[in-house]
Amino acid sequence: MATHSSPIAGGNIAGLADLTGMIVERFGDQVAQLRAGANFILTLSVGQPSALPTLAQFLFWEHGCLFGGITAEEHSNHWQIHYTFLLPGSGWIDVEFSMALETKTLPSIVTEVHAADWHEREIEDLFGIHFENHPRLGDFVLHDQIWHEGIDPMRKTFSAERPQLERKVDLEWQPLLVVGDPGSFAMPVGPVYEGGIGESLHFLLETVGEDVIRAAPRLFYNYRAVEKIAEGRSIPDALLLAERFAATSAFAHSLAFCLAAERIAAVEAPPRAAALRVLLAELERLRHHAGAIAAICESTALAVAAAQASIIEEQLLRASCVFTDHRYLFGLNTPGGLNRDFELEQCKTLLATVDKAESDLRILERRLRLSSSFLDRLEDVGVVIGESARDLNLVGPIGRASAQHCDLRRACSYSGYGRLAFDVPCETEGDGYARLRILFAEATQSARLIHQVADTLEGGPVRVAYEVNHAGAALGWTEAPRGAALHWLRVDERGIVERYRAITPSFNNWLGFHVAAENFAFQDFPIILATFGLSATECDR
Amino acid sequence: MSFWFWHGLRKGIQSTRYPARAENTPGVSPGRPVNTDFSTVEEAQLAAEICPTDAIVAHGKSTYVNPGKCVHCQLCLHSLQSPMNWETGYEWTRLPADGKEALPFPASFAKSMHIMVVDAGDCGACLHEVKQLNNPLYNMHRLGFFLTATPRTADLLLVVGPVSENMRGPLLKTWEAMPTTRKVMAVGGCAIAGGVFGKSFMCACGVSAVLPVDFEVPGNPPPPLAILHGLLVVAGRKSLNSPRPISEGRP
Amino acid sequence: MTITGSFLVAIFVACAAGVFASALLGHKQVPTVLSIAGALSSILMVLTSASVLLMGQPFEAALWTLDGFGRFTIHLDSVSSIFLLVSGVVYFSVSLFAGSFLKHQTDEAHPHLYYAILYFALMAAVVLILVAGDIVLFLISWECMSSLCFLLINYDPKGQLDKSAGYIMLAMSEAGFLAVAVAFLLLARSATDFSFTALRSACATLSPDTLWLPFLLGFFGFGVKAGLVPVNFWLPRSYTAAPPIFIPVFAGITLNLGFYGILRLNADLMHAGYGTGLVALITGSITALVGILYATTDGDMKTMLAHSSIENAGIIVAALGAFLVFRAFSQPVAAALALSAVLYHMVNHSIYKTLLFEGAGHVEAATGTREMDQLGGLARFLPELSAIFLIGCLAISAVPPFNGFVSEWMTLQSLLRSAVLASTSVRIVFALCGAALALTAALAVTCFVKTYAMNFLGIRRGSWELHVKAQATSKFPLAFLAVICLLLGILPTYVLPILNQSVESLAGASVTTALVQPFFTATPENAQLPPAFLADFHNLGAQTGRGLVPGRGLVVLLRGGETNPVVFAMSPSYSIIALVILFAAAWFVFRRLTRQRTLVKRPVWAGGIPRLLPLLTYTPTGFSNPVRVVFQAIFRPNIVEDTRQTVAVHFRTAIHRQREEIHVVDRLILQPVGAAARGIADFLAGMHHGKLNAYVVYVLVFLLLVLFVYRAT
Ligand code: SF4
Repeated sequence: MATHSSPIAGGNIAGLADLTGMIVERFGDQVAQLRAGANFILTLSVGQPSALPTLAQFLFWEHGCLFGGITAEEHSNHWQIHYTFLLPGSGWIDVEFSMALETKTLPSIVTEVHAADWHEREIEDLFGIHFENHPRLGDFVLHDQIWHEGIDPMRKTFSAERPQLERKVDLEWQPLLVVGDPGSFAMPVGPVYEGGIGESLHFLLETVGEDVIRAAPRLFYNYRAVEKIAEGRSIPDALLLAERFAATSAFAHSLAFCLAAERIAAVEAPPRAAALRVLLAELERLRHHAGAIAAICESTALAVAAAQASIIEEQLLRASCVFTDHRYLFGLNTPGGLNRDFELEQCKTLLATVDKAESDLRILERRLRLSSSFLDRLEDVGVVIGESARDLNLVGPIGRASAQHCDLRRACSYSGYGRLAFDVPCETEGDGYARLRILFAEATQSARLIHQVADTLEGGPVRVAYEVNHAGAALGWTEAPRGAALHWLRVDERGIVERYRAITPSFNNWLGFHVAAENFAFQDFPIILATFGLSATECDR
Repeated sequence: MSFWFWHGLRKGIQSTRYPARAENTPGVSPGRPVNTDFSTVEEAQLAAEICPTDAIVAHGKSTYVNPGKCVHCQLCLHSLQSPMNWETGYEWTRLPADGKEALPFPASFAKSMHIMVVDAGDCGACLHEVKQLNNPLYNMHRLGFFLTATPRTADLLLVVGPVSENMRGPLLKTWEAMPTTRKVMAVGGCAIAGGVFGKSFMCACGVSAVLPVDFEVPGNPPPPLAILHGLLVVAGRKSLNSPRPISEGRP
Repeated sequence: MTITGSFLVAIFVACAAGVFASALLGHKQVPTVLSIAGALSSILMVLTSASVLLMGQPFEAALWTLDGFGRFTIHLDSVSSIFLLVSGVVYFSVSLFAGSFLKHQTDEAHPHLYYAILYFALMAAVVLILVAGDIVLFLISWECMSSLCFLLINYDPKGQLDKSAGYIMLAMSEAGFLAVAVAFLLLARSATDFSFTALRSACATLSPDTLWLPFLLGFFGFGVKAGLVPVNFWLPRSYTAAPPIFIPVFAGITLNLGFYGILRLNADLMHAGYGTGLVALITGSITALVGILYATTDGDMKTMLAHSSIENAGIIVAALGAFLVFRAFSQPVAAALALSAVLYHMVNHSIYKTLLFEGAGHVEAATGTREMDQLGGLARFLPELSAIFLIGCLAISAVPPFNGFVSEWMTLQSLLRSAVLASTSVRIVFALCGAALALTAALAVTCFVKTYAMNFLGIRRGSWELHVKAQATSKFPLAFLAVICLLLGILPTYVLPILNQSVESLAGASVTTALVQPFFTATPENAQLPPAFLADFHNLGAQTGRGLVPGRGLVVLLRGGETNPVVFAMSPSYSIIALVILFAAAWFVFRRLTRQRTLVKRPVWAGGIPRLLPLLTYTPTGFSNPVRVVFQAIFRPNIVEDTRQTVAVHFRTAIHRQREEIHVVDRLILQPVGAAARGIADFLAGMHHGKLNAYVVYVLVFLLLVLFVYRAT
């Protein structure tokens, strides 16, 4: 242990202090620097790459940290790789590793922390950094059918405006199939969804007929390189991207982005803005969950229930529109607060709709509980046991249905959630029905939160002046409707984005989808998909 | 299970009366900025400057809005001293700016049109709004619009999203697989002009860069009724409100 | 010497000529000799049987007398004529096929001369079996046939092949032969000599109960050749091992000999009780179901067809069982219907199965593989073969207007006739067997949809290349059979009278007057038919086609009485006309509608992926997997190898499971019997330990046992 640049300070980061001691004891010189910054972040600089897997193993398995993600940054003369972990109840741990630009290999931590799989694959695809011992690299974001090897679009040398090359589709390209039973084959599903309206994603259902042995998604059809095109934009322009890459959780993502931006400038949103942000975030969650419930009902062909859930969803969309002038809560967040204020009357109207929606959902849940044929199709379908959920670090309602009770609103409070009373529902079965129950329970909690916020709303401004006049980087996090969303932002002294990284709950959870989709009957596939309720576009960015 | 039938009946008819009657329930449409005459040149200039996507063009004291470019950030509504005028309708369907004369389908399609929806890098909002057309409140089936799972039987290709590079191939494949009587409708700002994503190595900046587009439904996202209006226009059951978009906002 | 006799002699002469010519002319000319001499003798077979059937008189001739064995006689009656006729037709096609096939197979694996000699020898043996008029000649020629089959399968000069298939076949044939011989000898005890005529009259004097043993011995003895459960486990193995030109012979001719034996011994000579009929019915139904289950799930084209032969054998024997039961209950008309179904289905099966096996041989030669998982897209490479094979598949799946439909419908109808039986328990057995056969028919459709669609349609899954030379094999023999399939399918009213002679002689009722009503020649006043009956059919519109359709067109399977006025009738001849008109009309309308349109071909839609790869399309295994899952209790699959390669739990790099299935008959019969035999052998070997005292004890115990038995009786 070389230096302590600043003593660990802060209210609820006692856990981080303990951890620091342990790391000093365990890793000694391997951890070059240990800094505790504000905002619940403990930064560990690692000197030796070989220490990374062991450190990751220590944090994730021995110390019970959750895995946040990996962020690669290209600086003018070196790489900086951030491994983000969360110590629930305490704060974030940012394991930082720097290496010269010419070095393009790193030890993979995936054998220790499986949840890091896709993060490493993504970095390999977009930055060209090779991870030693990773069992399956390549063909991830850039589909091998149309992209050559050696294009590293996230490198600074690659221009995002580069004209599109005339690309030839490699017709001989063969997908990697895992099932080798005699007579096995794969049923292709997508990318143009065959069941009506759906997002672009592709599955190969590997089977020998009748039962599907394995189904792994092939994603990134919607990849719009948001992280790349955000670079070089001003913060408000980049915020537009953060808000609009995944509209069904637009508010949560724009909030995470704004929180990061505010942390860089050491600005805090005024209390009224923070409270309203909670209200809007919970409104979004409530609407999202109503939609997810509708999708589950639809996947089981329970038409009336699906119709009623989607009516609830549409009523909430309309209420959002009346309240904020936008059905998907676009254009509200801004670094430093909210773009606009709301009147008391407006809040009251909103509350009435929320109450109606909540009671309608309760009625719907009661009726669904009585529909045995509906429950039969959900129970024991798409099971993710707790160990797998922990192993793959599943987040959000899916994780909570498999006994992973991490909720960032609790585990690392933001925007004043710490002062509010709410429950984090948790189930242990990990099947489709457990996930449905979580959705209902969370919707109730959201309505409760909206009430609390509206009842205790203080007056005051909703926005403080925001300006960045120094370079810096910060992490912003929210519990989006689908789970933990982490936005990492680095700006230069003019406030121009140098690196923007969005780690989304869908990205995390798609990784675990294949665990639920093993050895199932073909007709259960839409149900497993619906109970996961993941968004491809949120994952792809 | 029979109680679902009963519960369904008890709800009664929920569907909107549109297009027979205008739908005015609050919240069905977020509205959009429209051409505004300000009292001073500066105000007009300010409005043009605040718009992050250059959807507003100032011309003297007047401003013109290109709805295809507007990303509905509401800055020109809430962050200006003198805001832009805001329209609350939803009949926004228009012809593309490239000057091609697209005709609606002949009358035989009016009561039965099959739609193939392709998500070409959409953020989820437009797709979600298209999905809402299926719910009982909008119920597009009552108007003879059907979703189809295969392009072989599709009449209309409804594209959302700015066309990401990875979806360019599948989108073209879908278009090629359709009968040649096909029409293409770009739904949402991204599908029209790339939206916030713009043109990049991964984004084609709108469907028209890939396919000939016949109709456009601006909005970010366009509310379900705007999309429904688009479908009615394509089916020849509603007329376009403004036959040509004001090109780049200038008269 | 009569004309029949001369034809018969000519057959043997032609066979001998074939052998000599092949030997003299050498390797190169063998295929030509095979086609010419083979076709000639098969035409002679057809003529021989035609002369008997036309004259309506059995042909008899005494050969010579052998001390102790009685007189060798030749006896060709209507029953054996039918079999001879079918053999002739099948041999005609096979000879041409074999000639053309061998012409393109010049490698070592196809020893032309050896094949030619065995081919003609087998042909002569088959004819001898069919014309044998006494036990001795019959058994001798039967034994010849069995040994020739064995030699064919186990021809392996280099010693590379797995010979177990041949040995199992030999063992089973010999066991069957012994059983049959014992059965004949049991009957011959009370007969004056060894001729069938003498046996028949001897049997008439025996009580039905004493006939049980000879019946079972004969039934299962011949059942070996006919492929009945539980003595058929040799069949798929040896069919798969047989050379391509001989499998059609096995499936189209030697299989029939099993039915001939059963028909001759168990139906013609003996008139046993209805219980024996039920044995046949149940055995047949089980055979059919087991056969089709394994056919549906098998991935090897030849083995699949072999299992399908077992299925058809089951159907035939089930109908035969129904015949025996009806006859035992003195229901001559129902018995006649069942028997005509037996004969009709036997004829049909020979024709289409020959076609399919020839097609499979063709495919194997052209692509080098029989694995259906590897094939696919053959229609593009072999368009003519594909069309002909499709006809075979339609025929075997009992789809009108092809022949399988007629006979399968008649079989099911004859089972429905169980309503005339008095005994409820027998009726229940009939109902259960009928259900089993209906299930079989449904699975047969699945099986052949799989066979055709997965091999000929879609895209090529394997990496094979087309052998251009093999592709040139003549398709005429197959097309010839396809035409016969169609004719048998649309003209049953002309086929049934041909079968009628044998039916009449065995069932005691004429199938023509019962089934094929001469409506167009009959007037309501015609005294031949009851007026009420005719009036019924006039009301039904049976004479609608009068003047348009020449001759008889309707097969009436059941005409109900006063209380139950149900009528089952079918007319493939009319329906083909309707079918043609419908197709023509549809085509015409389609053309009218699309006259103005241009046809645009687009690639297959596969959800927007760049190209539909073969590994993304259904495999035959995948197609039939639902059957495998539903009937898991029968298949009892055993996963012998389960490799799940994983780097960690989450990284699955390979899942590979090898299933092993032991055929249900092997599992339930062959393995226990084998184990028991080995156990007994071990036990006996254990007794031979060389201790004198123990041997003395054995003798004592045996003596006591004999005394005890003696006292008891
Ligand atoms: S709402 Fe539209 S027009 Fe107004 S500022 Fe935003 S993008 Fe520009």
